Amino acid sequence: MMNCFQGTNASALEKDIGPEQFPINEHYFGLVNFGNTCYCNSVLQALYFCRPFRENVLAYKAQQKKKENLLTCLADLFHSIATQKKKVGVIPPKKFISRLRKENDLFDNYMQQDAHEFLNYLLNTIADILQEEKKQEKQNGKLKNGNMNEPAENNKPELTWVHEIFQGTLTNETRCLNCETVSSKDEDFLDLSVDVEQNTSITHCLRMQFELRTNEGIAFSSIFQHCMEIIHEKFLLIRVEWSFSSSGPNRGHYITIVKSHGFWLLFDDDIVEKIDAQAIEEFYGLTSDISKNSESGYILFYQSRE
Amino acid sequence: MATEGGGKEMNEIKTQFTTREGLYKLLPHSEYSRPNRVPFNSQGSNPVRVSFVNLNDQSGNGDRLCFNVGRELYFYIYKGVRKAADLSKPIDKRIYKGTQPTCHDFNHLTATAESVSLLVGFSAGQVQLIDPIKKETSKLFNEENSCQHLWKVDWNEERENEGSKTSEEALVTVQRLIDKSRVTCVKWVPGSESLFLVAHSSGAMYLYNVEHTCGTAAPHYQLLKQGDSFAVHTCKSKSTRNPLLKWTVGEGALNEFAFSPDGKFLACVSQDGFLRVFGFDSVELHGSMKSYFGGLLCVCWSPDGKYLVTGGEDDLVTVWSFVDCRVIARGHGHKSWVSVVAFDPYTTSVEESDPMEFSGSDEDFQDLLHFGRDRANSTQSRLSKRNSTESRPVSVTYRFGSVGQDTQLCLWDLTEDILFPHQPLSRARTHTNVMNATSPPSGSTGNSVTTPGNSAPPPLPRSNSLPHSTVSSAGSKSNVADGAIASGVSKFATLSLHDRKDRHHEKDHKRNHSMGHISSKSSDKLNLVTKTKTDPAKTLGTPLCPRMEDVPLLEPLICKKIAHERLTVLIFLEDCIVTACQEGFICTWGRPGKVVSFNP
Repeated sequence: MMNCFQGTNASALEKDIGPEQFPINEHYFGLVNFGNTCYCNSVLQALYFCRPFRENVLAYKAQQKKKENLLTCLADLFHSIATQKKKVGVIPPKKFISRLRKENDLFDNYMQQDAHEFLNYLLNTIADILQEEKKQEKQNGKLKNGNMNEPAENNKPELTWVHEIFQGTLTNETRCLNCETVSSKDEDFLDLSVDVEQNTSITHCLRMQFELRTNEGIAFSSIFQHCMEIIHEKFLLIRVEWSFSSSGPNRGHYITIVKSHGFWLLFDDDIVEKIDAQAIEEFYGLTSDISKNSESGYILFYQSRE
Repeated sequence: MATEGGGKEMNEIKTQFTTREGLYKLLPHSEYSRPNRVPFNSQGSNPVRVSFVNLNDQSGNGDRLCFNVGRELYFYIYKGVRKAADLSKPIDKRIYKGTQPTCHDFNHLTATAESVSLLVGFSAGQVQLIDPIKKETSKLFNEENSCQHLWKVDWNEERENEGSKTSEEALVTVQRLIDKSRVTCVKWVPGSESLFLVAHSSGAMYLYNVEHTCGTAAPHYQLLKQGDSFAVHTCKSKSTRNPLLKWTVGEGALNEFAFSPDGKFLACVSQDGFLRVFGFDSVELHGSMKSYFGGLLCVCWSPDGKYLVTGGEDDLVTVWSFVDCRVIARGHGHKSWVSVVAFDPYTTSVEESDPMEFSGSDEDFQDLLHFGRDRANSTQSRLSKRNSTESRPVSVTYRFGSVGQDTQLCLWDLTEDILFPHQPLSRARTHTNVMNATSPPSGSTGNSVTTPGNSAPPPLPRSNSLPHSTVSSAGSKSNVADGAIASGVSKFATLSLHDRKDRHHEKDHKRNHSMGHISSKSSDKLNLVTKTKTDPAKTLGTPLCPRMEDVPLLEPLICKKIAHERLTVLIFLEDCIVTACQEGFICTWGRPGKVVSFNP
């Protein structure tokens, strides 16, 4: 499976970046498409260039050998990219794809899938695997120590690094008009679905969706009340990666645009290109009446400034 | 139904609007564009920009305008509000191959009826000096063979466009020795007939002299001065050559620069979100400011040089005091990135002594009917403004405008109560804001960068913070600071709040509430959320980038959708306002009382 080959395009990328500028210990590898697997390839690339995620996956690989699961396959794939001798090239994510098809019927075909759905599935599966392992470890530990009197609070599944990286909290606050009592409720989420209106910024759309809302009494749901500030503080403001779809699922194509070491790179299955920051404007989306092949952002990753 | 109606209303393009000084009206006959009047498919093109020049002749018809659309550049007689535009006869038209014009500037000192000096910057880094009256291309900069006429000039005189003269030029892509990145801004140095400054998306800026050559070898630079996030180099060579100076400012693209009215200072806004103001001759950093987030895209000086306004990717306009080197207000009205800010030098210091009658134009009347609350609200604020002036006259000191990618034009007033917040307050709206500004700001001590002379602000008094008690009492998951750790594990899910969208139209009028006010109440909770971590790059909550609740938040005087495509130009002239959108339509808005009905 480690048969990797260097495309002509790949060496052009190396030249494009320049030997001095090429980041040390970084590899830009395209992924082979096994028939409508661009939804998978684009998500894998986006996750690979999410540094904390990559580091955790590689650390998982470094642990002792485990039974094959989706995470071990992902770890093998990331490991093989990260340990390539060449800086650029193409890799077939064969083992990962076959494992994925084995694990979930939904993906066991040659149809185009929704990249967002796949991202959800992948992250939830990884989180489940990690939680299960933690539980096992604990039980093993208990058996060894013979201590059965551990507090029962551990019924709650533990948080994994997947949660630490991607989970956010949405706070709903309800204020009573009469007594000013405020009750609040937290909801966890992995991603936010935002309605993007024409000629508006993402920030504005976020603000509109999470700003004050009047309900019986004054109830407001906000991502921590003042969304802009929050996006800022707690969340994710720097654009890190970007997956794009053209048209909807089952049709069209997914690519990923990634910011790595100050460069913007476009991953289109086995093709990797360096692009101008300005070129990203082409993916902001077109106004509806221009029937040109429309490419627009679909999943955007932001990183906290902290 | 209400939602639909509201949506439609929102998408309607306004052709007039009213401020306290009267009715501004779009003049459809004064619209300039490409001769065929076909909307330009703007995707992926450089912003349309407009430059004006007056030929200093006695005719009174000396105004000329230049604009770029796609790879084309046009030069027309500008008849302003007086006469309809004649698009069939551009004085000059140029089409470029392999590169696109991005920006341009006329030299106002040298302009005569026979000759003008127009600098044009290009997407591939070149700078051209052309004379659209003489139809000459006199010089090319940042192009190694600039003196060898490597570019091809085809004069298609009298061939197309009913006698208009067209030149097609291919700026041959040879090795550009100085900078290969896109030119973002080009301007003549104030008061100079030969010096000009060019900014690039590389973050560098070069000073050229039209008299000098660019040399045939790459320039060697020698450090002249270095400071916090900027450096200035001179060009080392035996004979004087271009560029004279190289400025490197901040990180990422230098999006725009502007000379102060006296020409002594230079304001630069960059993709790294910073406004930096330099002494141009002294090459010293005078002061700086950071956007709320994202890059800053545009900057403008007030006519007296006391204030600067910036606009950027945070959808905000930010007012910065040159003297105090601090943010004095932010303005929230745009729904997307702000592409141009401009002061209106002709509408400053308006004394509000005589109460203005509500001039009920047809459109305004309809607005009132359709828009219901929103409109009523703004009317009310106007009324209350007037009421307050009855007791104590407020003189509006500065007017500025902004246009953005949201296709909206906003006008703003910088009033005394914002400029001098210690004065007695006259309005409820600003009251809240200024209260916040004067009460101790609520920065958490932990994360503020220690800036010399700026001690960390003390926390907000407890009494002021409603949610604090509730956070602890509501309690089950109070420890937001530790984020994920405290809350239970749940399956990842996408949170979509589409169902709450139906309340949009109601929310619109809410915009008039001060956001700063709301967030100030929640500031304690915010501080809980904020991890205490010192990071030199973190500026939020410091004087460089104060928190939202720590500075007054301005509301736009008017906020109107005026185009189908994003707006890229806003220029205040004496009798009109000029706007342009990415589709290549340059619109003239007659000022109150300046609209002449002309007979074509």
